[in-house]
Amino acid sequence: MKTIIGLEIHVQLRTESKLFCNCKTNYLKAQTNENTCVVCTAHPGSKPYFINEKAIKNAVKIAAALNCEINEEIIMQRKHYFYPDLPNGFQRTSKPLGVNGTLEGVTIREVHVEEDPGRYDLKTGKTDYNRCGIPLIEIVTEPEIKDSEHAKKFLEELQLILAYLEVSREEPGSSRVDANLSIEGHPRIEVKNINSFKGVYTALEYEERRQKKLIQENTPYGQETRHFDEEKGTTTSMRKKETLEDYRYSPDPDVPPIAIEKNTEIPELPKPKRERMEKQYALTKEDAETITSEKKMADAFEKIAGHSNAKELAKLFKGILKKQLNYRGIKYQEKLTPEIEWIAKNLEQNKITEKSAEAILIEAIDGGKSAENYAKEQNLLGVETNIQGLIEKTIKENPKAVEDYKKGEEKALNYLIGKIMKETKGKADKKTILKTLEEKI
Amino acid sequence: MKETHEKLQKGILKPSENLELKIKKIEENEGKIHAFINIYLEEARKRAEELDKKEKKGKLYGLVIAVKDNIAVKGMKMTCASKMLENYLPPYNASVIEKIIEEDGIIIGKTNMDEFACGSDTTHSAFQTTRNPTDLNKVPGGSSGGSAAAVKAGFCDLALGSDTGGSIRCPASFCKTFGFKPSYGSISRYGLADMAMSLDQIGVFSEDVYGIQLLFNIIKGDDARDAVTTTQKQSTTKNKVAIVKEFFENCDKKIEESVREKIKKLNAEEISIPSLKYALPTYYLLVYSEFASTMQKYDGLKYGSKGKPGDLTETVSSARSENFGLEVKRRILLGTYITSKDYREAWYVTTLKARSAIKSEIEEKLKEYDYLLGPTMPMEAWNIGEKGEPTQMYAADILTVPINIAGLSAISIPLKNGGLQVIASQGDDDKLLKFAEGLEK
Repeated sequence: MKTIIGLEIHVQLRTESKLFCNCKTNYLKAQTNENTCVVCTAHPGSKPYFINEKAIKNAVKIAAALNCEINEEIIMQRKHYFYPDLPNGFQRTSKPLGVNGTLEGVTIREVHVEEDPGRYDLKTGKTDYNRCGIPLIEIVTEPEIKDSEHAKKFLEELQLILAYLEVSREEPGSSRVDANLSIEGHPRIEVKNINSFKGVYTALEYEERRQKKLIQENTPYGQETRHFDEEKGTTTSMRKKETLEDYRYSPDPDVPPIAIEKNTEIPELPKPKRERMEKQYALTKEDAETITSEKKMADAFEKIAGHSNAKELAKLFKGILKKQLNYRGIKYQEKLTPEIEWIAKNLEQNKITEKSAEAILIEAIDGGKSAENYAKEQNLLGVETNIQGLIEKTIKENPKAVEDYKKGEEKALNYLIGKIMKETKGKADKKTILKTLEEKI
Repeated sequence: MKETHEKLQKGILKPSENLELKIKKIEENEGKIHAFINIYLEEARKRAEELDKKEKKGKLYGLVIAVKDNIAVKGMKMTCASKMLENYLPPYNASVIEKIIEEDGIIIGKTNMDEFACGSDTTHSAFQTTRNPTDLNKVPGGSSGGSAAAVKAGFCDLALGSDTGGSIRCPASFCKTFGFKPSYGSISRYGLADMAMSLDQIGVFSEDVYGIQLLFNIIKGDDARDAVTTTQKQSTTKNKVAIVKEFFENCDKKIEESVREKIKKLNAEEISIPSLKYALPTYYLLVYSEFASTMQKYDGLKYGSKGKPGDLTETVSSARSENFGLEVKRRILLGTYITSKDYREAWYVTTLKARSAIKSEIEEKLKEYDYLLGPTMPMEAWNIGEKGEPTQMYAADILTVPINIAGLSAISIPLKNGGLQVIASQGDDDKLLKFAEGLEK
C-alpha cells in the first residue's frame, strides 16, 4: 500500500509592518485589535498601500532557496469567500512567484505570497484583527512525499532553510500546514490547520494508520477534510465530500503588478554548508550536522576553527555546547563565540580540563562571568601542570595503597584517585590522573 | 467662482460671509433640490470663524466645498446613499480631504448620489431623489448628481464627485456646469468608496474652469496609500484636434448642432474609432465583476442592520438583501455570475481583452491628436421617473465610458444644448484644462 502525501505550508514572513498597511506585526504581544487601521480592517474607501517590499524580498529568497524558477512579476489576486476573520470578504493572494522547485526529493509546485486573516473566536464570536494582513508565504508541494518520516525530514530541512534565511517568523503559530494524505487507489483526505511542523508528523502518522486500518477492514470511506486535535494527536472529520469551492479569483485592480528584482542573494544553505564543512574540516557527518543545525553556530565554528584544531573543536561543539543548549531549549548566541574561543585555546594547551571546560561554558551560557574570569576565580586554570606534583605527593604519602596496587588490588588505585580528586576539588581530569598514576607507580 | 476666490484671497470677503451666502441659498432651495444627504452647518460655521481669524491664507481659503457621499470625511457620515452605510461614521479623512483642509477649504456636507454610485441619474439613492436646479422636473444626472446640483444651485463654490463611467461628466452636462474627470491615477482614491476600482476616479465640479484648475492642482499627485497613483507625464503639443464620428451616432440633433457650432473654429478633423461599439458592454462587464468583488465586505457583520440569525450564509444573505437596493443587487449578482468558474472565460476574460483593444485604439489616435471632441451625453436630462429599465439608463453612458476604460482625462463644458466633452491622453490633465479655459469664452 503506497502512501501519497502533499503539503501546503503557510509561514509568516518576518517584516515590521503588514503587507498592505503600516500596522505593526507583533500581534502576539499586542492588545486585542491594537495593530489595526482602516486598511487592514477594510473600512469603506480604504485602499491597500504600496505592497511591503520587504515581504516580497523575503518571499523571493525562500523561493530561490527552494530552487524555484522565479517569475518576473508579482500579480495580486482576490480570493473571495465570507468569514468573520476576513474583513474584505476576500483574501489578497498572489499568483505563484516561484514554481517548480525541489527539496528533499520533493517537487515544490509553487510558492506565493498572501495576507493572513484575523483570528475569529468561535466561542465568543469576537474577532481580533491584529493578525489580519500579516504577510504569509505559502509553499505547495506536489504529492510526492512517501510517508510521515519523509514529511518530517522535508519539514526539518525546510525549517532549517527558513532559519538560515532569517526571513520568516518563528513564534508559535507562525507556521501552519494543510496536509493531504491518501493511500494509492483510495480517497484523498485533507487535514487542515496543523499549527506546527511537529504536529504534521503526528497527524500524518495517525492518518496513515487510520486509513490503512480502514482498508484492511474493508471499510469504505470517502474524500473528506479533517481537523487535527493537537492535544490528542488525532484527527476528526470536519466535512465530507468536498464540493469544490469557487473563490472567483480575479486580479486585484488596486495592486498593480510589481517587477521582481533579479539575482536574489541568499546565504550558503544548510546542505551545501554541511557538505563543505565535512570536507574542509574533516568532520564526521554527524558532527557537521550538529554544527550546521544553526547558522550562527556554524559561523562561530568556522571563525574559531581558523586557528585551532577543528576535530577537537567539533567535540566541544557537539559534546558540550549543543548538549547544553538543547538542555535549555535555547539557540546559539553570538556572545558565546569569544568564550568558546578561549575555552578551545586553553583546552588545546592543556590548561583546563574537559570537565572545567563544561563548567566554564555553562557559566557563559547562563549569562554569568566571562570564561577567563570564571576560570581564574574558580582556580580552574593550570590544573594540568599542578597535577603532576600532586600525584607524586600522593604516592609518597600513601605507600600502603601503592604496595597493595602493585600486588594487584584494583581498589587501591581507586583510593589514590579519590585522594587526588579530593585535593583538586574535582577539577582534575580522571583519565589524566589514571594515566599518570600508572606511569609513576 | 473666480471672483469669490479672489475676494477671499484679498480679504474683501470673509470665509464666514462666503459661507452665509451659501447657507442662504441652501435655506431657500435645498428643500426643493435635495442635493445633500447630510449638511454640517454648525461645523462649517465653526470652521469659517476660525478661518476668519487666520492670517496666512491657504489656496482654498474660505471656499465652501461639497463632497460626494462616497468620499470619507472624518466626523461626517459616509452613507454612499445606501441603507447598508446609513450610520457609518468614517474614522479617517480621504487623501483629497486632508489636502482641502490643509489649504483652508470649508466642507459643508455630503451630497446625494446613486447608491454606491450605481446609476446615471441620482434616482437610485436609498434616501432621496435629487432634482435638477435648471429644471426641477428633470434628473440631475449621476451618479454624482448631488454635487453637480449643489454647485449649480450655488450651495457651494466647488464640489467633489467621483467618475467611474461618466458619473461627473453626465451630471455636469445635465446641470449645465463644468465637470472634470482627471486621468486614472492622477488623484489618490484613498478614502473613495469603491465602485469599480480600475475605473474609479475622484474629480471636480465648478461653475468655471478656473475653479476646476484650482481644486485639481491641490488634490492631484502621488499617494503612498493608493498604489495606482503615478507621476504622469504630459504629452507634447501636436496642434491637432479631432471629432469622433461615432460620438454623434444616436445623438440628439440639437446637441450635435451645439457641439459643432462650438468647435467650428478649431479645424477639427473627423475620425473614426470603430472599437467604440464594444465600449458599453465592456464597461458594464468590468463594473459588474469589480463591484461584486468590492461589495463582499458588506456581509452584515459590521455595517447595516444585522442579518437574520442562522448560519453564516443565511445571516450574510439576509443582511445584504435587506440593506441593498435593486440596482446594487443586480450588479453584484451579474458580477458574481460572470466571474464564476464556469463563465469567467467566456465573459470576464473576453471583457479584459476587449478593454485592452479599445484602450490601444483610442491611445493610438491620441498620439496623433491633442484632443478628441464630441458631445458628453447623447441627450438632455430626462424627466424624473422616465427611465425605468436599466438598459435605457446604461445606454446613456455610451459617450463617457470609453474614457474610463482607457484611463484618459476628460472635461464636460456646458453648451446651450447638452455639453461638449473634450478628451485628452492620460497625464494631459493640465494641458486639457488650459485648452478648456480657451473654450470657455
